[in-house]
Amino acid sequence: MPRESGYAHLLVTKVPGWHGLIAWDALLNGMATGLFMAAAVSELAAPAVFIPVAKVAYPVALVLLLVDLALLVSDLGDPLRFHHMLRVFKPRSPMSVGTWCLSIFSLPLTAAAALSLLAEMGIDFEWARILAVVLGLLPGFGSAAYKGVLLSTNAQPGWKDARWMGGYLTNSALLMGCAELLVLSALMGQTQATTILRIAFIVLLVLNAIPLGLLFANLRPAHARLYTRKQQWCVGALIFAAGTLIPLDLTLLNGGLLFIVGAVIFLLLVSWVIRFVYVKIPHTSPLEIRSGE
Amino acid sequence: MASREIELSALPQTSDPPRGRLSEFIGRLIYPFLRGEPPKPRPATGFYTDTTVCIGCKACEVACKQWNQLPSDGFNWSGNSYDNTAELSATSWRHVKFIEQFSDESSGKRASVGVAPSESDHNRWLMMSDVCKHCLAAPCHQACPTGAIIHNEFENVYIQADICNGCSCCIAACPFGVITRDSVGGHSHKCTLCYDRQRDGLEPACAKACPTQSIHFGPVDELREQARKRVEELHQRGVPQAYLYGDAASDTYSELHSFYLLVDRPSVYGLPDNPFNPWLHMMGDYVRSIAGGLAAIAALFVVVFLLRS
Repeated sequence: MPRESGYAHLLVTKVPGWHGLIAWDALLNGMATGLFMAAAVSELAAPAVFIPVAKVAYPVALVLLLVDLALLVSDLGDPLRFHHMLRVFKPRSPMSVGTWCLSIFSLPLTAAAALSLLAEMGIDFEWARILAVVLGLLPGFGSAAYKGVLLSTNAQPGWKDARWMGGYLTNSALLMGCAELLVLSALMGQTQATTILRIAFIVLLVLNAIPLGLLFANLRPAHARLYTRKQQWCVGALIFAAGTLIPLDLTLLNGGLLFIVGAVIFLLLVSWVIRFVYVKIPHTSPLEIRSGE
Repeated sequence: MASREIELSALPQTSDPPRGRLSEFIGRLIYPFLRGEPPKPRPATGFYTDTTVCIGCKACEVACKQWNQLPSDGFNWSGNSYDNTAELSATSWRHVKFIEQFSDESSGKRASVGVAPSESDHNRWLMMSDVCKHCLAAPCHQACPTGAIIHNEFENVYIQADICNGCSCCIAACPFGVITRDSVGGHSHKCTLCYDRQRDGLEPACAKACPTQSIHFGPVDELREQARKRVEELHQRGVPQAYLYGDAASDTYSELHSFYLLVDRPSVYGLPDNPFNPWLHMMGDYVRSIAGGLAAIAALFVVVFLLRS
């Protein structure tokens, strides 16, 4: 038989230069949009309880979004051409949908943040602030929802099979947003808001385990190619323990500020690890190639 | 070389009127939004590459570099036969591939004159000049958020270098690994199918330079007909494994305007065996993404609403 030669052992696709910045971008995008949406939903469902904490949440969400946008722009090959993204709207391009959603979302978010700060200074336009919050909900949701689709609608090994990436990232954005809002309310001493958000956080934490599990199932073939069985079990157990069980235990154990902050730190840390591991999949060599190193 | 590109782009052009900083800034902001009159559609053109007659001379690579003024990539021994180009890139739009298929036991033997080769002695070279596939439904085109990637009047996939901002979505989307980002300008580049030459009624430089007519250029319909006849001819001549890759659409991918005649599995040539357009999954991915978000919003709303008093 002829020797197996040629290019059959090589990966056909090229890896885009998306590295750690994109993992941070995916995290900050979720934190910013999630915080806004969690604050907006809570404020609209129970205004009497959540208005004070929501007024602090919007400026925080704006700062997170600005940092995220800075990362997005700096990751371009030619950052000075960022505005070229706005010359067309292509519904079939998740990046185009995301750019437009983020651009539109930044307007009501800025208005909500500015009006919240003005209200603190005694200049209150409550109706305008509520209007900005309502107007920001749809583009905010779109900004959270596009990211996972962008990272799964492509030809990259692993990414192309991650059917639940979008489901996980959008769900995780809300979970992180709820966690951030919980920390803010605890820091501000808003007892009732903290009590409600603590329960909501527990519910969302359990709910988030579903898309995360489905995402892991999607990625099993890719992980099997890259990691040994033992490594897969270790990482999976670590992510489940540190990202779900520990935050769950800490929140159930005690409603104190320290426990809440601890739970949220664990959650954010693991959320970053998941995004980082995912972004790195196409950059990682298969086992058979690495074994020669 | 790369540094030369920077020097050249920094030089003032005689056609550029003198501009102040503010006017330059405004011009830069407005420029991408200006639209010209789109050219009238012309018959679709493409490449048909008959790999059975490729001799690996790399004339196509040289002609492409020369005509398109692409810089050198340096020279590195790849250790893979005569292939030191290694891959298609922003600065190499043609890539000649070399596949040595020799059995271990016969590698030291010499063929005997007048003796028919046995199955184990059936050793061969495969060579193929790879290029952008100019897909009819191109994932790079679908992914591009700036509209820099277009189908031009010849239905070729063309990157407008002055619009691309280097977001890399096209790189992630291409199932053939054709596009890369230039490290100097930060923009994506690939084969233009010699758009400038085509507009002047000339054939692409690579097809013009090919000494064995392995690379055919012309209207896609004519190329397909020509290619199918060639496959039949090869079958009659005792090469039953000859087939066309990408000449027709499959369930998961559109037809290619640059298609190939191959005699082994596509993966041997570094082509995907079953190319898949990632956009077939997009709607489902959006549905799951929205469902994941709505489930969380609903849960949060219910908890807050029920516990508010």
